[in-house]
Amino acid sequence: MEIPRSSGFQLRHMMCEFGQLSRPDGDVTVFQGDTSVTTAVYGPGEVRMNKEILNKATVETVFKPKSGLPGCAEKMFERTLRNTCETFLLAALHPRSSISIIVQEIQDSGSFLSCCVNSCCLALLDASVAMKFLVAAVTCAIDSEECIILDPTVKQEKDSCAVLTFVFENKDDSILAVYTTGSYTVQQFQQCSQTCGEASKAVFDFYRTSIEKKLSKAT
Amino acid sequence: MADDFKYGPHEKDVRPDGRELGEFRRTVLNIGCITTAEGSALVKLGNTTIMCGIKAELAAPKPAEPDRGFIVPNVQLTPLCSPHFRPGPPSEQAQVMSQFIAEVIKNSGCVDCQNLCVVPGKLVWVLHCDLMCLDYDGNVYDTAVLALLAAFRNTRLPHVEEKEEVPEVTMDKTCSLIVSSQPVSSTFSIFDDRILFVDPTVEEEGLATGMVTVVTVGNKLCMVHKPGGSPLKSEQLLTCFDRAFDRSKEVLRLIEETILSVER
Amino acid sequence: MVDHVGKVVLPGEIVTGFKASEKTSKVILGPGLRQETETIRATKPGILRHKEPNIYWVDSHQKRYIPVKGDTVLGIVTAKAGDIFRVDVGSSDQASLPYVAFEAATKRNRPDVKVGDIVYCKFVEANKDMEGEVVCIDSSGKSGGLGVIGRDAGYLFQVPINLTRKVLSPDCELFGSLGKNMRYETAVGMNGRIWVKAKTVVETIAITNAICASEYMTNTEIKNMCKRLADSMAGF
Repeated sequence: MEIPRSSGFQLRHMMCEFGQLSRPDGDVTVFQGDTSVTTAVYGPGEVRMNKEILNKATVETVFKPKSGLPGCAEKMFERTLRNTCETFLLAALHPRSSISIIVQEIQDSGSFLSCCVNSCCLALLDASVAMKFLVAAVTCAIDSEECIILDPTVKQEKDSCAVLTFVFENKDDSILAVYTTGSYTVQQFQQCSQTCGEASKAVFDFYRTSIEKKLSKAT
Repeated sequence: MADDFKYGPHEKDVRPDGRELGEFRRTVLNIGCITTAEGSALVKLGNTTIMCGIKAELAAPKPAEPDRGFIVPNVQLTPLCSPHFRPGPPSEQAQVMSQFIAEVIKNSGCVDCQNLCVVPGKLVWVLHCDLMCLDYDGNVYDTAVLALLAAFRNTRLPHVEEKEEVPEVTMDKTCSLIVSSQPVSSTFSIFDDRILFVDPTVEEEGLATGMVTVVTVGNKLCMVHKPGGSPLKSEQLLTCFDRAFDRSKEVLRLIEETILSVER
Repeated sequence: MVDHVGKVVLPGEIVTGFKASEKTSKVILGPGLRQETETIRATKPGILRHKEPNIYWVDSHQKRYIPVKGDTVLGIVTAKAGDIFRVDVGSSDQASLPYVAFEAATKRNRPDVKVGDIVYCKFVEANKDMEGEVVCIDSSGKSGGLGVIGRDAGYLFQVPINLTRKVLSPDCELFGSLGKNMRYETAVGMNGRIWVKAKTVVETIAITNAICASEYMTNTEIKNMCKRLADSMAGF
């Protein structure tokens, strides 16, 4: 069931669980409202000969949809995730090794791309892979009355005229990645990027509390 | 080293081929060059060459959407265009590009699938948009979107009449495909995390630390695609949008001129 | 200036409030910290630690081992190649172990090492751009506890790396409390591998479980656990 939100300017409730899997070096299940994704990270580990890069680690992403075989859309998805992760990882610290990120869709209830990006970031945090900075993704939709809805559900996404996903970093709040569908004006784009930028703070806070909770167990 | 050499010219706002940072390469457009296809276009952006052919086929619609036709884009990056590509099934990049083109068509609404309906529930058009890269010298996204749009503008669908449940195609009577909006793509590269420049060549793509593709349609944006890479401030994105709108005017003028010259 | 010591830092965060040593006016940055032009940022999530006078590092929870020069690790010999052994230490690359890097080994007198043996060894070369090199001798040519271990008995298992750091720390009373009731041998590698050998298999397994369970325990909890373990072992 969808938890009602007080307004469209709020993210859905976020939750995460670390360490559900025993084999990976880092893993997390992220819930963002009803949307949920499990991500596992292996690395830096051994790399296949033909994928070896001499001066940095090879970052691989695999996206597994809930059902069916991955197609073109999933490839694009994988590539977006990989390019995003490549940017914030300190891949140069581990030359000739591979960092693989496996993303498994559990449930898509809207804002799926942002949930995947956030789960990748948390899984890499869990694995303690060296990173330049953190990223937080926020999706928003522009509905037919030109209102901005943060973190839309599937139904809201379908009814809207545009859906925009932004990935922000925590260094100086620049935009790392953008992915959009539908058409919109420059003004709307700016409004959305501002709203999402503010909302991304909540995601970074969520990262902090999650990691603090995880580490408090250890001490 | 190539990196060091490149660093110098870019620092002074001049690129290895003499272009300024905001300058596109020379764009050459040829429309209707494949006579066997319903629509076609050949685009050259500097050395990058993409051929687009549109074949129309009749098919039964999906039961859920009885009045909608299909548009199937397919991008081919063969070893012909660059040694980087291997023969065999489509590479990841080709698949990503096909998906990109499909999303541009969907987001811009340039061809409405409802206009492809012949007999609701029975017969619709399937447009196979085959984009073949002949020479890969960077910025294939912009070239592909331009080739696609020009080919759509060139497409004429044969008239179909249904006589006693049997469709009859008459090639003498054709009508133009309705193109309701015109998407134009502009790609920007980021160099050294701060310098933005348009229309990268393959060499520049290799050195770039990030890319942004902006697709405009009319006075709106229909796609801002930035898959990772160096972070940008929103002001930097705004300058990209401004340049993209300017570029769209240039490109649309070029298409109109070419169509006129072909008709003459 | 915010003092981050003892607090959780996340990658990308600017870390401030370093105290430089009075003599050299320098700060030593350990794992998880990185200098970017003028600022120092964290690269790993964890708790910022400080050691007098001027050493700082991020204590993070990691499963995957990344070789560091001087670390003693538990490796498994995977192959013999020419005059070196290949040793799997759980990192992205296998390390090499020269034949002559054993006590009293010479070109003629080759050490008795087989594929599959567990070796307790020390990193003398750990560089991201080169293959790691391990040895089983110290600088004076003595084994010093290094070498092939547990060929006849014992059990090797993997734990998170922070747990090996915890049990090796002088503050941790785990091995002492366990040793009060049972006699056992153990070797702890910084790569998250622990080898244990006790008198019986039952005791070995009991110790293994005790080590694994101690990850989130305080010293008093560890003592209680060891007492309970000894009681139940006596009841067998």
